Amino acid sequence: MAQQPSPEKTMEPFTGPGANPHWNSVGPYIAEPQKVPLILLTDRPIQLETPRHYFRTVFTPNEAFYVRWHLEGIPNAVDLKEWKLQIEGNVNKALAFTLPDLMQKFKPVSVAAVNECSGNSRSRLLPRVPGGQWGNGAMGNAMWTGVRLRELLDLAGLKSGSLQVQFQGLETGQGPAGLGSNLFLKSLDLKNPVLDESVVAYLMNGEPLPVLNGFPVRLVVPGYFATYWTKCLSWIRVLTAPDENFWMKTGYRMPDTPRGNTTPEDVKAGKVKTIPLERFPVRSFLISPDGSSKIPAGMNVTLRGIAFSGFGAVNRVEVSDDGGKNWIAAKLGENHGAYSFRTWESSWTAKSPGRYWLAARATDEKGNTQPDEPVWNPGGYLWNRIERQEVVVGNAS
Amino acid sequence: MKNRARATFLVICSLVMATIVYAELKKGYYSPAELGILRQAAPVELSPDSNFQVSAYPVPATELAPGDGLQDVQIYCNTCHSPRYITMQPPLPAATWEAEVNKMNKAFGAAIPDDNTQKIILYLQAHYTADTRKQ
Repeated sequence: MAQQPSPEKTMEPFTGPGANPHWNSVGPYIAEPQKVPLILLTDRPIQLETPRHYFRTVFTPNEAFYVRWHLEGIPNAVDLKEWKLQIEGNVNKALAFTLPDLMQKFKPVSVAAVNECSGNSRSRLLPRVPGGQWGNGAMGNAMWTGVRLRELLDLAGLKSGSLQVQFQGLETGQGPAGLGSNLFLKSLDLKNPVLDESVVAYLMNGEPLPVLNGFPVRLVVPGYFATYWTKCLSWIRVLTAPDENFWMKTGYRMPDTPRGNTTPEDVKAGKVKTIPLERFPVRSFLISPDGSSKIPAGMNVTLRGIAFSGFGAVNRVEVSDDGGKNWIAAKLGENHGAYSFRTWESSWTAKSPGRYWLAARATDEKGNTQPDEPVWNPGGYLWNRIERQEVVVGNAS
Repeated sequence: MKNRARATFLVICSLVMATIVYAELKKGYYSPAELGILRQAAPVELSPDSNFQVSAYPVPATELAPGDGLQDVQIYCNTCHSPRYITMQPPLPAATWEAEVNKMNKAFGAAIPDDNTQKIILYLQAHYTADTRKQ
C-alpha cells in the first residue's frame, strides 16, 4: 500500500557547529520595500540573501538582488531636490552634482558586473566564524549604467599629494563619531587602475536602483568585492593620507597568504599579517537541477549554472557527475564582458538510478581554477571551493 | 443498532475506497500547517514629487532564550542592531562570544557598563554555544 506523504518540513532555525550544508542560508523569507520575498539574515541593519533560483538568468532581477547594510541608519527616503553627489577634499575645485547633472552632463557608460559580498558563503567555513551567515546568495549580476568615476575626479582636479579616494554614502549608525559604528567608509588608492573602470551608477538593469541597493547612485567597482560598492554614494573625498578608519584598517581584511587561507592557531599566535580585500576569486554554481526533485533514469536533462571571476573573464567551465573525479567541458552562454556572470549549460543523462554528486569548476582567463580545498580565515571571506550538489536519479520503469 | 452497523459499514467502505483511490492516484493528501506571516505588500501610494520614499523596514520579533542577562541584551545590544544578529549566528565558542561583546565596546564604542557587559557575555555563553544552544 502506498505510504501517506508526510507534512513538508521547514528549514532548521540555524546551522552549526558543522558547515551549512544548504545552497542558501536557512533563514525565513521576509518582504522588504521594493523587494520580493528574500531570505532574512538580519532585519536591523538589513541583510537579505537571494534565493538560488533567481540565478537562472544572467542578470539578477533588482527586486531579488541581495542586500547588505552595516549600520542601522538606512535611508527610507532620498529627496532629489536636496540630494547631491559631492566631490571634496584635496581637489582644485570642490563640486556638487545633482542627479540630472549626472544623467545629462556626462556620456553614460554601461558595464555588466557581478556584485559579490566579501562574506558570501561564510556559513561554509569550518570552524564557523561569526558574521553574516550567508549561503551562496550574497551575490548578483546587473547591467550598471552611469558616469565614469574618473570623469568626476578629473573635473574636480586632483591636487598634488593626493593618495586615496574615499567613498561615503547615506548610511549612518548610532556609534560615536570617528568609529566604524558611526560611518561606513571605504577608500581606494588613486593609482589603482580599477578606478578607471569604476562607474557611479544611477541605473541597475535599466531601472532606478532600489533604495536597499543604493538609490540614487551607487559606486560600481568591477571585479572588486561589494564592500567598495558604496550605496547611496554622496561624498567622494580625495585624501592625502591612508584611510585608517575601522572599515579599512580592521574590517574587510584578509590574511596576506595564498587564497587568504590561514588557521585559528596562527591567528591566535599573532602570526597573520593582513591586507585589504580586493578582487573576488573565480567561482561557479550549478543552479539547476537543485536536488529538490528526482530525475528519471535515462532522461536527458540540462545542467545550468553561472560562473564569474574578479580577475577576468571565465573562459572554461567543467562539470562532473562523480563528485569531481572526471570532468567534461560545459557550453558557455553569451559573453556580457569580463566582470559579468557567464551562464553555462551541459546536457546530462544518468543511465542508472542512484545518487550522483554533480559539481562545477570554472577557470578564468588568468588561469585561475577553482580549487577543491576549503579556505579559512577569521573574517569568513574568499570561499571559492568547488560546490557539489547531490541529485537522486530514480528508476524510470 | 441497525443504523450503527450500517454507519460502520459505510465508514469501512469509504476507507477502502480512499485507500484504493490513493494507491492508484497518490494525490490529495494535505497536512495542517501554519500560514506564514508573509503577506503580499499592497501597492504603495506614490506622488510625482522629488521625494523618493519607501515604507518603514520591518523588524519581526526575535525569539531569544529566556534567562539571566536577557534584559541587558535587549537594552544594550538593541541600540545598534536587532537581536537577530545573535540568533543568526551559528553556535560559537564561549571565547568568541566574549570577543564579540568586547568588540562592541572597544571597536564600536558601545560603552556598555562593565557589570552589564559581563552579564551579556554570560548570557550568550549560557545559550548560544555548541553545548548550550537549544533554539
